[in-house]
Amino acid sequence: MTQKDNKNTKNLSGPDVTQDDGIIVCKNLTKRFGDNLVLDNICLAIEPHKATVVIGPSGCGKTVLIKHMIALLRPSSGEVYFKGRRVDDATEKDLSRIRASFGFLFQGGALFDSLNVTENILFPVRQHYKVTPNSGLDELVKIKLAMVGLDGFQNYYPAKLSGGQKKRVALARAIALNPEVVLYDEPTTGLDPIRSDIINELILKLESGLGHTSVVVTHDMKSAYKIADRIVMLHHGKIIADGNVDDIKNHPHPVVQQFINGQVSEDDLAVLRMSGKDLKSQFLPEDFQE
Amino acid sequence: MNDSVVGAFGAKTVEDVNNAGRAARFIARALACAFRSLFRPKDYELTWTQMNIIGVRSVPVIMVTGAFVGMTLAIQAYDQLAFMGLEERLGVLINVSVVKELGPVLAAVMLAGRIGGALTAELGTMKVTEQIEAIRSMGTDPVRHLVAPRVLACLLLTPFLIIYADLLGIIGGYFMSVIQLGVNAGAYWTYSASGVELWDVCIGVIKGFFFGGAIASISCYKGFHCREGAEGVGRACTEAFVASFISILALNFAMGVIFKAVYNAIWPLRMLI
Repeated sequence: MTQKDNKNTKNLSGPDVTQDDGIIVCKNLTKRFGDNLVLDNICLAIEPHKATVVIGPSGCGKTVLIKHMIALLRPSSGEVYFKGRRVDDATEKDLSRIRASFGFLFQGGALFDSLNVTENILFPVRQHYKVTPNSGLDELVKIKLAMVGLDGFQNYYPAKLSGGQKKRVALARAIALNPEVVLYDEPTTGLDPIRSDIINELILKLESGLGHTSVVVTHDMKSAYKIADRIVMLHHGKIIADGNVDDIKNHPHPVVQQFINGQVSEDDLAVLRMSGKDLKSQFLPEDFQE
Repeated sequence: MNDSVVGAFGAKTVEDVNNAGRAARFIARALACAFRSLFRPKDYELTWTQMNIIGVRSVPVIMVTGAFVGMTLAIQAYDQLAFMGLEERLGVLINVSVVKELGPVLAAVMLAGRIGGALTAELGTMKVTEQIEAIRSMGTDPVRHLVAPRVLACLLLTPFLIIYADLLGIIGGYFMSVIQLGVNAGAYWTYSASGVELWDVCIGVIKGFFFGGAIASISCYKGFHCREGAEGVGRACTEAFVASFISILALNFAMGVIFKAVYNAIWPLRMLI
């Protein structure tokens, strides 16, 4: 895959990003849940027709960030723009039209249990278009399922599908309206390496075939390297790295290196290095011993 | 020490007021969406499905409830009335109690258990598995899509279910009084007809309308706002039932007072007869 070089262009995660710098732009985005600061003054522009991968340790705010892009969450402060239009303060009625331009693949698939695969895929279509029995819906479902390699599963219910199949059906549903942007929340989590690679290939196929803009949240580095045109790393609610795959691989920040190489921190290791007696006393107080 | 107690009490009060405000807004929105659904043919299919689940499938359990209410009243009241030689008036006592109070209230409590718990569990599970968020992400209002059909189905069908409960309560009371305890059938029905007015039946049915709205909107609210995990869903179901039950009793009391005042205003002399 061709890696795009961002080095000579404007910094798309700097404080000077404007609403016209990308298809989605977050400006000074801050989100708190009570006293917990999850996103801290994030500035980020997502380039159109490219795959931007957001990486970072669990709980660092990746999912919260992409949920702000589609206004599923509202920021504590800051602004979010889609195609130059502000979405963070839009009404739900206005957002209904805006969200038709997005597909969202949830971490667990979020398929509707009470609907079969066909009905799941047609759900967004029925919500946004007036459909008639002759609207060619069966053909649409067949095409979408063929794209994710599941043609023939039209009448299955989610309970009968494996984890990987659920994700692929959820992906078919996410692209049912041919959205401009597809947001992927941990698309490969919980899948075996082969299923993960199938999902990665699907994301690439959709991006190259349909020209989607993709924003992928993951902590699976193999997946990130395969999909990404650009990688952004979040840590403690801030962007600490932004660049193409090579930039990230060679990034000087120790936290970035530790994360991409999957190394445990010294603090975490200190617990594991305790001597046997200390370790035992750590978990079994005297009162509990025989 | 005192400061911390006062602080905790204040924080809890603020939290409770916030929750009450959020619930009121949710319920107002749910009712508004339910009203609009009446005029949107696209939503009829969703409402029809919920009417089948909430209404049709509840008929057997509601009928059983009504029948036992009528039979129990007959058993409990017979000895005392017979002691005074008034056993032929058993019909009026049973039927007024059934159509005005016990039928609507016990049928609504049964519905709160059967429907309220199921609604909360279903919506709560949809929330924790991100299905409600998925609906929003696809540009659909989850209150319109999920809550409005359920509220509308409950609003429209609870009065009918109460009529079923009343009917079986009357039949159950008749069965125990006349068939089992040997009260004269003619006298039983004559006194019943003279004591039970159309007004009494209407009160019960109107109550059903409010009970249905309360059960559905409270249960949906609890489902939409439940905490994560199995424990969160379980707790939401319990809270939904308790809140629905208390609402039914409170609404029953409030409507009892209001209907009595209305009755006295419309027919002021009847109370004197």
